[in-house]
This record gives sequence, structure tokens and C-alpha cells, in this order.
Amino acid sequence: MDTEKTGNNTGLFWKLFTAPIGKNNPITVLILGVCSALAVTVQLESALVMGLAVTIVTGFSSLIVSSLRTTISPRIRIIVQLVVVATLVIIVDQVLRAYAYQASKQLSIFVGLIITNCIIMGRIEAFALANKPWLSLIDGIGNGLGYGMILVIVAFFRELFGSGTLLGYQIIPESWYIANGGFYENNGLMILPPAALIVVGLIIWVQRSFYKI
Amino acid sequence: MNKNSNTYTFLYATVLVVVVATALSLIATGLKSRQQKNIEVEKKQNILLSVNKALGVDTVPDRSAYIEELYRRYIVEEYLVDADGNKKEGEAFTMNMKTQYDIIREINASGISDEKKSELRRKLSLPVFVCRNDDGALKYIMPVYGLGLWGAIWGYISLDNDFNTIYGAIFDHKGETPGLGAEIAFPKFFNQFEGKQLFENGQFVSIRIVKGGATTGDRHGVNAISGGTITSRGVEEMLKNCLTEYKPFFEQQKTNAKIHDVAIE
Amino acid sequence: MENIISIFIKSIFVDNMIFAFFLGMCSYIAVSKNVKTAMGLGMAVIFVQVVTLPVNYLLNTYLLTPGSLAWISPELAGMDLSFLSFIIFIAVIASIVQILEMVIEKVAPALYNQLGIFLPLIAVNCAIMGGSLFMQEREYAGLGEATAFALGSGAGWCLAIVGIAAIREKLSYSNVPVPLRGVGITFILTGLMGIAFMSFMGIKL
Repeated sequence: MDTEKTGNNTGLFWKLFTAPIGKNNPITVLILGVCSALAVTVQLESALVMGLAVTIVTGFSSLIVSSLRTTISPRIRIIVQLVVVATLVIIVDQVLRAYAYQASKQLSIFVGLIITNCIIMGRIEAFALANKPWLSLIDGIGNGLGYGMILVIVAFFRELFGSGTLLGYQIIPESWYIANGGFYENNGLMILPPAALIVVGLIIWVQRSFYKI
Repeated sequence: MNKNSNTYTFLYATVLVVVVATALSLIATGLKSRQQKNIEVEKKQNILLSVNKALGVDTVPDRSAYIEELYRRYIVEEYLVDADGNKKEGEAFTMNMKTQYDIIREINASGISDEKKSELRRKLSLPVFVCRNDDGALKYIMPVYGLGLWGAIWGYISLDNDFNTIYGAIFDHKGETPGLGAEIAFPKFFNQFEGKQLFENGQFVSIRIVKGGATTGDRHGVNAISGGTITSRGVEEMLKNCLTEYKPFFEQQKTNAKIHDVAIE
Repeated sequence: MENIISIFIKSIFVDNMIFAFFLGMCSYIAVSKNVKTAMGLGMAVIFVQVVTLPVNYLLNTYLLTPGSLAWISPELAGMDLSFLSFIIFIAVIASIVQILEMVIEKVAPALYNQLGIFLPLIAVNCAIMGGSLFMQEREYAGLGEATAFALGSGAGWCLAIVGIAAIREKLSYSNVPVPLRGVGITFILTGLMGIAFMSFMGIKL
């Protein structure tokens, strides 16, 4: 990408920021970072926290690696990147444990798995190593948000149909349930792990038809 | 300086490690007290919930102050007991139930001689928390610990002072399947335990978790979680294994209570 | 011993890395177009898992768990280095993968030709890092249990990727809606395989 010359262009900033949210989405189009994405989508709340944590890590790791890019010896490139990412993830984990204990309990090992989230290393390798720090920050944040968006969409459907709630608040009226003389029953399948894969598959279908990729 | 030289690489790596290590240890030490506070408050909250206190915890702005205040007000005593039911030296609150569970698991392993069992039992230090309700009634809280489908499950069971009737219960888990096994941590499951009894005609029978639903009027059974069979079974095992070790304590307290009653009469 | 066998079987069928936890999905999707390469990657994952997980287990037991430094000197018993787990685990994985690559290239060039290209991919495979993190969270007792888990979770991952690769080979003759081709249908198929695998949940060991 020829970004070094046109670095001050706000249009470019905007494009960098929005492309990963829509037609260059890291999960559905580039198939990166799916690993840790799906296990945290049973509830909307954990999906939001996870999306936020990943956005922070992608943004800052891109920023830091990009600032260091001229100094890193190519021989230890990968390990330096891993150290930067792992440090940021540890900081996020420690802060979550101190200030958002419930959320950190729900995410459990998946916070640690942000380190091996391919989006982060992918953006560092593909973008941050060749571009200026500010552009890399924007690119990182955009990709983090694109990732978070898919998480939130998946979690929205899984929590709504699986538990009848959103962010813990009851959405489907209690009186609809069969137990209360109604006609409705939560779809237990949505809560189970395989449902996440099927929902993502369907999102990919919709998105690819829409953007005609 | 040449970026490909060994000296450069080595220096670079050293500086990086020093910077990262300093930053991380500063952050970890800085946040440590807050993290431990969270864990402590959560434990206190679970103990309180098992005696049906602190039910409004999700609506208060300052969770930790609220829990601390209630804990001070209601939990009047905490101590350790040994396998014969006698009080034992030591700190009850900080006792890690995992260590006790490891001993209990060994006791219940197949092919253990009675001699070995009693030797293992001597190592037990079981925590008991005592709650005094506003009306002066005493409730006894016992922690339990076991294994679910994916990992550890634990909880607190509180008994009336007849050491038979369950006053309240609460369970938590490390990572059971949300919506299935994880339902053990919700009131719909643990509220069923209230009023159930551990003894039948003086025999310890524990609580059965019945798949497909317990019959109405079953004093020793509650409904299992549909779709959470292994977790339900884990809860049943956990209650049986842990509370069995508390049995001598229950019996001793019952006898004491009787003597006490006779003295009053 | 029963325990070890139970952990092994459970980590293949019940706690399958792909179907229950979606770990290592990136390479799972990318390298599952034919059975032969899938098998190669699967083998490499088993191999790396079995080497790294016990190493991380030892580090976790003697270095990272709170109070575990007591073996050096009793004064260190109060130290808690658990906050370093992530960075140490990933460093161990990355360096072992690197060393393995060099050793295999020297010692067994034939094996290197088969596994070599996959090894760098594995350093950032979530299944490997996830294995170490699960080991830490589930507090496995003893090196035996940790190794059994390593072998089982690696084998489970291998089973999953070979399975989907076989299906995808057949699928190239099917008429899948265009936008769903490739990745989309792979996700949905994995979901369906996951549902089938759930029937193993009932096995009691």
C-alpha cells in the first residue's frame, strides 16, 4: 500500500479505519483470529469486553511495533513482536482482574489467547512493519473493531435465542415461555459451541453475497 | 550500528527484556492488592449468599463495602475442624478447599486400606463458618469442592442448627458449559436445596441430584440440570464426598445441642 | 493410571480443541483443503504439543504458581510470578518450535520435508498456547496427566482437521451456493461435526 506519501490524508485515515469493519473484515473475509472469537460469544457482555480488549491490543501493538520498526533486527523480529503483544495482553489481563473481575472470570483463558490471535500478528506483519505509527494505530484499531463487531453480532443472536436475554436483561417476555403457559422455548442449541460456527458461517454467506466477493 | 550484528541483537534483546520485565512487575505489584481484594470479596459474597444474605449485591454501587459490612454483621465465627469434628488450630477463611479436596479424593480412591484412610483423615482441616441471623438463630456454613465437566466446581452449604436441614446453598464453577452445566451457579438450581435434609433416620444420605426431576416431597433429592448431566453428577459427588467428612462434626454438635437442651430444661 | 487414560480420551473426544473450544481455527480452515497436508499439520501439532506442554507444566509448577519458588529457598515462598505466565508460555512455544525446526532439519531431513513448512505456522497456533493455558487453569496433577492431556488434545485436533479435509475433498464435487463456497461452508460443516461430537459427552470414564 502506498501510504507513506499520502499520510496526512484524512480520507485515507477513514478508509483504513472502516475497511476492516466492512468489506475487509478480519474474521469473515480474511479468516484471521477466529480461534478465540467464538468461545466468548455465548453472552453479549463477554463479547463486548473481549472485542474491546482485542481492539486495545491490536491498536497499541501496531503502534509500538511500528515505532520500533527501524530498530528491530530481522533475526529476532518475530520474537520481539511476540514479546510486545504478550506484554500488552498481560497488562490487559491484570487490569481486567483488578477492575472488571466478573468479566475476567468469564473470559478466563481466552484473554491469554489474544496473544495467538492471528489478527494481531497479521496486522503487525502486513501493515505496521511498513507504515508510520499513527497509520498503524488506526489500522490496528479498525481491525480490532471489525473483529469485535462480528463477536457482538454472533453473541447477539446466541444470547437472544439461546437464553432469551441481552446483556443479562430478559428480552423475550416471560409469559411466552411454555413453562408459563406460552408457546416459546429457548433454543438450547444456540448456547452450545457448534452454534457459534454455524452462525459465523451464515454471517459469511450474507456478507459475501452483499459485497460480491 | 549494524542491525545484523550479534552484539546489536543481543543488546536489543536485553534492553527489551529489562523494559518489559520492569513494566510488568510494576503493574502486577500495583494491581495485586486490588485483585486479591476482588477474590476475597467474592468469597465473602458466596458465604453470605449461602445463608441468603447479600441478595441485593448486584444493585449496590459499592459492592466491596456492602459485602464487608454484611460479613462483619452476620458471620460471627469461623474455625477449622478435624475429621473427628473437634476444633483445630488455624485460619478458616484462607484455607484453600482444593487442598482438602485432594485429600478427600485420595480417601475415596479405590483400593485404599482403612488404616491409610484414617491416616489421611488426620490431615484434614475443614473450615466452618457460623452465621447469626437477626433473630439470633445460628446457621453453619460448610464449603464444598469437586469436579464438574471441564474443571473445578465449588460452593457453600449452610445448615440449620439441627445439622440436618439445609438452610441455603450456592455453587460456582471455573468453566462449565454456559447455559448447561453453568446453570448450577443460578438461583433456579441452588434455591432447590433449601429445606432438604442430609439425614434419614439418623443415617447420612446426602442429597441426590435426580435426572428428569425429583418427585415432589422428596426430602433428599433435587432436579438435575437438563443437558448438564456430568456437572449435576459432579455436584452430587461433591456434596457426598465433602459432607461425609463433616459428619463427625455434625453428630458431635447434635449431641452437644441435646445436652444443652436438657440443661435448659 | 485411570485418571491419565480418562484425561487422554476426554481431551480427544469430549474437550476437543476444535469442536468444543475452537482453538487453532485459523490453520484449521487454511490448511484443510486436502487430507495429505492436513495430516502433516495434524502430526506437527501433536508433536509440538507433546514437547511444549510438559515443559510449560514444569515451568508452571516450579516457577509460576504462587508459592512455587519455595524449592529454591523458603524466603521466596511468598513470591507470585503467575503474571508472567503468558509471556513465558509463548516464549517457550516459540523457541521450542524454532529449535525443533533446526533439529529436525539436521537429524531427519525426510521428516523435515513433511513437517518443516508447518512448524512456523504452529508457533502462533491457538491450540498450542490454549493447551498450556488449560493445563494451568485445570491444575493437572503431575507430569503424567499433563503429557496425557498434551497427547490427547493434539490427537483431537489432528482428528478434526483430517476429518474436515476429507469432507472438503468430497465437497469440491458438490454444488454449494457461490458466496458460501470455501470458508463459509467449512464453518457450517465444522458446526455440524461439533454437534455429532457432542454425543461423546455422555461417556463416563
